[in-house]
Amino acid sequence: MRKWIAIGLGVLIALWVALSAGCASGSKLQGKTDTAIHGQVKTAGSTTVLPLAQEAAVEFTDINRNANVEVQGGGSSAGITQLKERVIDVANSSRDLQPGENNGTLVDHKIAFDIIAVVVNPSNPVKNLTKEQAKAIFTGKITNWREVGGPDEPIVVVIRDQASGTREVFDQRVLGSTSDKPVQCVASAIEQASNGVVREVVASTEAGIGYLSHGYVNKTVRPVNLDSAPPDIENASSGRYPLARYLHMFTRGQPVGAVKSYIDFVLSQKFQVEVVRRAGYIPIREVFKQ
Amino acid sequence: MGRLGLKDSDYWVKLVMFTCASVAILAILLIFLFIFRESIPAIRQVGVGNLFFSTNWAPNVSKPEAGHYGMLTFIWGTLLTTFGAMVIATPLGIGAAVFLDQIAPDRMARTVRRGIELLAGIPSVVIGWFGLILLVPAIARVTGSSGYGVIAASMVLVVMALPTITTLSAETLKSLPVTLKEASVAMGATRWQTIHKVLLPAAREGLLIAVILGMGRAIGETMAVQMVIGNARAFALSPFSRTSTLTTRIVTDLGEAAGVFRSALFAQALVLLVIAMVLIILIRLVSRRREAW
Repeated sequence: MRKWIAIGLGVLIALWVALSAGCASGSKLQGKTDTAIHGQVKTAGSTTVLPLAQEAAVEFTDINRNANVEVQGGGSSAGITQLKERVIDVANSSRDLQPGENNGTLVDHKIAFDIIAVVVNPSNPVKNLTKEQAKAIFTGKITNWREVGGPDEPIVVVIRDQASGTREVFDQRVLGSTSDKPVQCVASAIEQASNGVVREVVASTEAGIGYLSHGYVNKTVRPVNLDSAPPDIENASSGRYPLARYLHMFTRGQPVGAVKSYIDFVLSQKFQVEVVRRAGYIPIREVFKQ
Repeated sequence: MGRLGLKDSDYWVKLVMFTCASVAILAILLIFLFIFRESIPAIRQVGVGNLFFSTNWAPNVSKPEAGHYGMLTFIWGTLLTTFGAMVIATPLGIGAAVFLDQIAPDRMARTVRRGIELLAGIPSVVIGWFGLILLVPAIARVTGSSGYGVIAASMVLVVMALPTITTLSAETLKSLPVTLKEASVAMGATRWQTIHKVLLPAAREGLLIAVILGMGRAIGETMAVQMVIGNARAFALSPFSRTSTLTTRIVTDLGEAAGVFRSALFAQALVLLVIAMVLIILIRLVSRRREAW
């Protein structure tokens, strides 16, 4: 009996060692490893940027074995504060610096562009909404499509959950919501937890309207123009389309050493195309090309 | 181990079993204490009246203290969807159990039983997904609403609760003494009269337990309900309303909830725990009566 227990344990331990060795390198970008870059990079901040930062950290440390990147959340504001207090090296942010927040040392690295499209079902004839109409629809003041030139049907509003960065931008820019005076969406709005599910709901509900990250728009939903501006890069970066923002990584002064390599990596073509775009955002070079 | 005397190995076995049991009890106690402790900030800052009896749910993610956290809407959502599910699942479940025990020939009974066991084994997220792609559009077509809402959630809950109710009711009916049925038939009763007037009343306590356990399953269901109920914060005034339940609210909001907001979600979990405990106490009361009989 004891012999079998020992053999069983031995097999389990062997399996565990084999599996953990196999799982060690999960890098999506296969590259040569580099041992020249070394040091610690501490980052924190926006939870919107967090998935990008985490993916960058994993792949950066896979390629640069002597470097170590720490990524945390906490929110854009917390990240910027910690950066100024010299607790971290890079602050991830989904918003610009507020006036007075830059103490003269912060350098802005824009790493992605996020356009939020307001979408409706393809069968909906409405093609344009003013910002006031959009706000009225999402807060429940306008309840029927015929009030904005559509068919006689009650509007089904689809929004994101409280943790969503997309919702944060939408609430601020379209609803005028601030942290002191938040504006709530209509109580009967369908709340879903991801861009993909919002898209599915709007695609299958004829009277539906919702918002999602530009990268998630496909043929199953149709984006509407806001204030006659279509949600494309040109109008968004010029400011004519109101629902857009940059994703930032701030540093204290110009970055050097491992921090510089990390930022360069995030801005590299490969990362931008393979990770940033897949997350639904727009690679930063495509904006600067305008 | 074989070399030791019977007395020693008996002691070790008892110790191991006692440890296993204590782990379970300890876990439940710790979970309850943890949830209670985490809800205290909400109870204190929002107040019992506003927290448990207000329908104003307006959280503030960046400034939690400035939000409103009334969970009455979701308590009502839980009760409404569970009630709607039970109204359909109870007759269906007990009917299926009667069919399995009294009416079906052996081979058919076996097949139906396998089918019900398979139904019980389907993960709730798969059932919710089917609800999302099949049920919701169907309801939208029939009623002209968005399809999401209490009705879709109740139907999904029926699928989740049905196997529990059916198998337990069938077990209860099987455990009834055969002499009961024989006596009834001997007196000239028809099959339906036997079932209706003799067997079902005799199985009453067991059937009640089956329904209560099915209800417990329905109240705790999260994934499947979250996909079809709409997760709105509106109070459900009709079966076609979109609303939320306690469970779906927790899973939708726990992502970035902090401070009082997070504590309010724990308070919702506390309410769920209390409901579960009430159900279990109910079962204990019912089965105690049954044992006496």
